[in-house]
Amino acid sequence: MRYLIIGGGIAGTTAVEELRKLDSSDEITLVSEEQHALYSRVLLPHYLKGKIPRERVFLKKESWYEEQKIEWVRGISVVKLDPKNTFVELSDGRELPYDKLLIATGGELRTLGLDVRGVSYLRTLDDADHLNQLLAEQGSSCRGGVYGGGFIACEYINLFAHFGIPTTVIFRGNHFWSKGLEPEVGRLINQHLIKKGVELHPGGLFVDTMGERELTGFISSLGEHPCTILGVGIGIESDDGWLREAGVKVEAGIVCDEFLQTSEPNIFAAGDVAEFYDINVGRHVRVGNWMNAQMQGRVVAKNMAGEKTVFSLVSSYATNALGLEIIFVGDVSRAHADEVRLVGSVEQGGITQLFSRAGQLIGAVLVGRNTDRPIITKMIQEKRRASEFK
Amino acid sequence: MPKIRIKVDEDLCIGAASCVTIAPETFQLNSENKAEVYDHGQAPGGPTYERWLEVTQEQQENILLAAQSCPTLAIFIFDEAGKQLFPEL
Repeated sequence: MRYLIIGGGIAGTTAVEELRKLDSSDEITLVSEEQHALYSRVLLPHYLKGKIPRERVFLKKESWYEEQKIEWVRGISVVKLDPKNTFVELSDGRELPYDKLLIATGGELRTLGLDVRGVSYLRTLDDADHLNQLLAEQGSSCRGGVYGGGFIACEYINLFAHFGIPTTVIFRGNHFWSKGLEPEVGRLINQHLIKKGVELHPGGLFVDTMGERELTGFISSLGEHPCTILGVGIGIESDDGWLREAGVKVEAGIVCDEFLQTSEPNIFAAGDVAEFYDINVGRHVRVGNWMNAQMQGRVVAKNMAGEKTVFSLVSSYATNALGLEIIFVGDVSRAHADEVRLVGSVEQGGITQLFSRAGQLIGAVLVGRNTDRPIITKMIQEKRRASEFK
Repeated sequence: MPKIRIKVDEDLCIGAASCVTIAPETFQLNSENKAEVYDHGQAPGGPTYERWLEVTQEQQENILLAAQSCPTLAIFIFDEAGKQLFPEL
């Protein structure tokens, strides 16, 4: 059997590892756009804060791939897929045939498309190295700017605070995660950040950077904001043209069933790129977190090897905004919920926002209420009524 | 039965809960959103980030899987002689 895995992140690499465990003789090829051995993107903030040395971000040694008899093609991407003749074409012109194909290419960073030194992103190890360099060069003269109102913005805020760097934050909505969170929950987060000394400007649109070669600030629809590093966290998008051209069904992500099988035979998807049927919430969802990507890597390998396995996980992701814990559990799409309810209040310092569909609890966002997490996770798994949560 | 020592580095732990998903008998999150170590679902002597456990081979493998799944590698596992089993050095 020839297995071809596109994507060397946690989903793709976990799948490779699992496939090798299942059979020692199969031919396994891993195509990875990055040059690095598998590393943890979740550890990048720890590395930047100096909590761990750079080498500790790696989860696999370079020698691991050869030891596992995996053909590791790195620094290469896929440009074309031919499902009929079962091969892919690589960016270096090579063609690779497959019997079973896994697409685990993750997401592409959405950028501002500007190249002034001082504009920073935080997705890959190279991004982190660049930011590390900027921080080291600027030292105490650094002034932080953040554009975005999501997980990455939180990371920048925490990082700048760690180094005592004054920080200005701008996002388009009225508060963090403005599409999903109720105004009161947003107010809780805003108030916390302001109390901690962050200069917050909701409702601002990025217009342009300031400075010729080195960043001196940026212009938003609200005015000018001086900064020497601008951390940008405005989400990810997909480079899915080659998949659409090949006839693979793609909507928000690659559409696949609960076995992570796509619309095409012998082609599977896992991780951030997969829009899979989630049996716990009863609809197709796209989930971009570590736990989901890793567990999908494990399950998809079994399915590729012919061992039919349903993917079932109530995944979650936790972040922290200057000491305020924020946890997302399950399906937290406001657009797909027919009811949301809040438990707690700004005055109490914690709010849990419950999402339900046809009365069934499908997801929750916990802000400053960590202890709700186990019960909510269990309730989603057991398909319980949202009204049962008090 | 093998005896192992499990330690969670609370400074590295971010409450991603991968370990809790894989080995809920051994790991549970506390109110600070950090993983504490449990002995087969129990916490004799109170909550702690570090504990000696007697486990079966199968349980040990599952705990190892939980440690491997941690995105910040905050879980350390040692054997009876003190040798670090995970993360591999």
